[in-house]
Amino acid sequence: MEGSEEMVVAVIMVGGPTIGTRFRPLSFNVPEPLFPLAGHPMVHHPISACKRIRNLARILLIGYYEEKEFTLYVSSISNELQVPVRYLKEDKPHGSAGGLYYFRDIIMEDSPSHIFLLNCDVCCSFPLPDMLEAHRKYGGMGTLLVIKVSAESANQFGELVADPNTKELLHYTEKPETFVSDLINCGVYVFTPDIFTAIESVFANREDRANPLRDTSFESLYSSTRTSVPKGFVRLDQDILSPLAGKKQLYTYETTDFWEQIKAPGISLKCSALYLSRFRATAPGLLASGDGTKKAKTVGEVYVHPSAKVHPTAKIGPNVSISANVRVGAGVRLINSIILDDVELKENAVVINSIVGWKSSLGRWARVQGDGNYNSKLGISLLGEAVTVEDEVVVTSCIVLPNKAINVSVQEEIIL
Amino acid sequence: MKALILVGGFGTRLRPLTLSVPKPLVDFANKPMILHQIEALKAIGVTEVVLAINYQPEVMLNFLKDFEAKLGIKITCSQETEPLGTAGPLALARDKLMDKSGEPFFVLNSDVISEYPLKEMIAFHKSHGGEASIMVTKVDEPSKYGVVVMNEATGHVDKFVEKPKIFVGNKINAGIYLLNPSVLDRIQLRPTSIEKEPRDYITGLRLYLESLRKKSSVKLATGSHIVGNVLVDETAKIGEGCLIGPDVAIGPGCVVEAGVRLSRCTVMRGVRIKKHACISSSIIGWHSTVGQWARVENMTILGEDVHVCDEIYSNGGVVLPHKEIKSSILKPEIVM
Repeated sequence: MEGSEEMVVAVIMVGGPTIGTRFRPLSFNVPEPLFPLAGHPMVHHPISACKRIRNLARILLIGYYEEKEFTLYVSSISNELQVPVRYLKEDKPHGSAGGLYYFRDIIMEDSPSHIFLLNCDVCCSFPLPDMLEAHRKYGGMGTLLVIKVSAESANQFGELVADPNTKELLHYTEKPETFVSDLINCGVYVFTPDIFTAIESVFANREDRANPLRDTSFESLYSSTRTSVPKGFVRLDQDILSPLAGKKQLYTYETTDFWEQIKAPGISLKCSALYLSRFRATAPGLLASGDGTKKAKTVGEVYVHPSAKVHPTAKIGPNVSISANVRVGAGVRLINSIILDDVELKENAVVINSIVGWKSSLGRWARVQGDGNYNSKLGISLLGEAVTVEDEVVVTSCIVLPNKAINVSVQEEIIL
Repeated sequence: MKALILVGGFGTRLRPLTLSVPKPLVDFANKPMILHQIEALKAIGVTEVVLAINYQPEVMLNFLKDFEAKLGIKITCSQETEPLGTAGPLALARDKLMDKSGEPFFVLNSDVISEYPLKEMIAFHKSHGGEASIMVTKVDEPSKYGVVVMNEATGHVDKFVEKPKIFVGNKINAGIYLLNPSVLDRIQLRPTSIEKEPRDYITGLRLYLESLRKKSSVKLATGSHIVGNVLVDETAKIGEGCLIGPDVAIGPGCVVEAGVRLSRCTVMRGVRIKKHACISSSIIGWHSTVGQWARVENMTILGEDVHVCDEIYSNGGVVLPHKEIKSSILKPEIVM
């Protein structure tokens, strides 16, 4: 394989505004894929993981957000990483496999030998080079990244069964009601270009099913719940993985690192912490440190944007990200929080288990806190854009929509 | 002249503070409650104070020895063997209160904090020639208390109505009486009880400090870090960048570190408030500590020797003595 001309293309599915409702009120300002985790947009983490693939030709972001949402980001990241990154807008959602198929000409431009498919809302260590090597050995059409999770949580995802020796994917089912397996689909795949043929046959079988005489397609074996699907809509999981399981086409590569699906702002805080601690190993220069003399004291992993100003008497961390132009006043304490751009935190303010939105401001001795339960709706306090919390006010486990002024303490409320 | 202070009960309403000391010895504006009263009595010429107590007499007596010497006033105790309510103790103390002079004597409830216009009361008592004078005070919500229905012009008392359902008057029994010795003849020695609504400690502090302000007392603190009425004991230390007040009392030996915000609260002897903490509407008991960046509010009461860890939030926690608070208290609750 050394010195071969085999190119690799990476495709990252970023979704669109309808998926983004789960990220409100933060998604009012920025599309979910650009929301910062550990100081960098969510999509940046899979993108920089792709950079580690040898012979990477280009990275394509596919979604149905407006193009202008991604223009700036895409050009700056292309520049920074010295690899072409492009955003392709679907005219309508096509499903994860349908989107891939829709842009197949662009994807196949460099005649890549392999295509990575990643979901933007996945938080993990993206062991892509290792996955590619395993895939080449298996010699199948595709390889899925998989991980073991607790039996109780497995049914929220796609559960699968793999052969312990050959690692072949034997069985796959999406969000089953009964327990199938504790091994789940991480949402990261590598395929050979045969994937397009497989997607094509899904279309062909659908047309055939319109013909009432034809009933032996493998689709019909699994299709009891699928009635009408929009034209061109192909889901990778149900339409490709399930039917092809057990046919020596699909294989699995197991990761033992962290894995989370970023489906709500609360979890994004947890993922930000996971990426921050990963920086400790992969990019320690990105992390801030200080001992309270010239620079503020840091505890654990902390990211501070170079343009942010932090008073030396503040104490930051663990698990804190501070974005651009933030002003952190004297005696401020931040724990397990994301502070977005242009926020002002006045003296002695405290933020714990919370996300403070762009341009917000906290008064002196103000306190914004959550109980830290990532899975409960109000476990992490969220302040939208330009929220003001007055001096000495306490906000506990609340979601506050943009442009509100909070002048009395509140607890466990959604403030519209 | 003599006075009887009805110390009485267990002070359950001021728990957890009264788990450590008897109620009359709980500090109020940096001075044990009972001392406020004894000093006021001494000022108008009372030479002997009798304390009617039924609980922890040893602690009280020890304490009183100190005061006797310092103030030059005789203090004795009359101990109830069973709770006698508020009138019973008078009968019990009869021998101590009666003397040949036939002078009237004061009776005070021990949890009364007021401006003590005792001199005026003596004059009033002499002028009407009746057997007893009761101090009354006007309140906004009389039905919480015992209302005294009286002739506004003469002050003659018509009747008492306990917690009236309809408006009968807005003057309530303030808990200070001036009685002729003949009253003692009317009381038999058996339990009689009168309910009394507890005063809000924090409100009481505010009123007390307000009255100090009116008298332009030099005791009140001043400075750019002080807002409103604040009492700071001379042995307490306050750090930089703090904002203290309104309505705060800081006791002897306290240390308030830099960047602390205190409002509407009492900080008792020996307490340390660490940097950047914020305390409002709360009582911090003797020798407790409040950690860095902690937030204590909404009628949090810390008993003696309670330690609130760094960054903890307490919303109305009532914490018994000798506890360490390591996790936040989000809703008012009692921590045993």
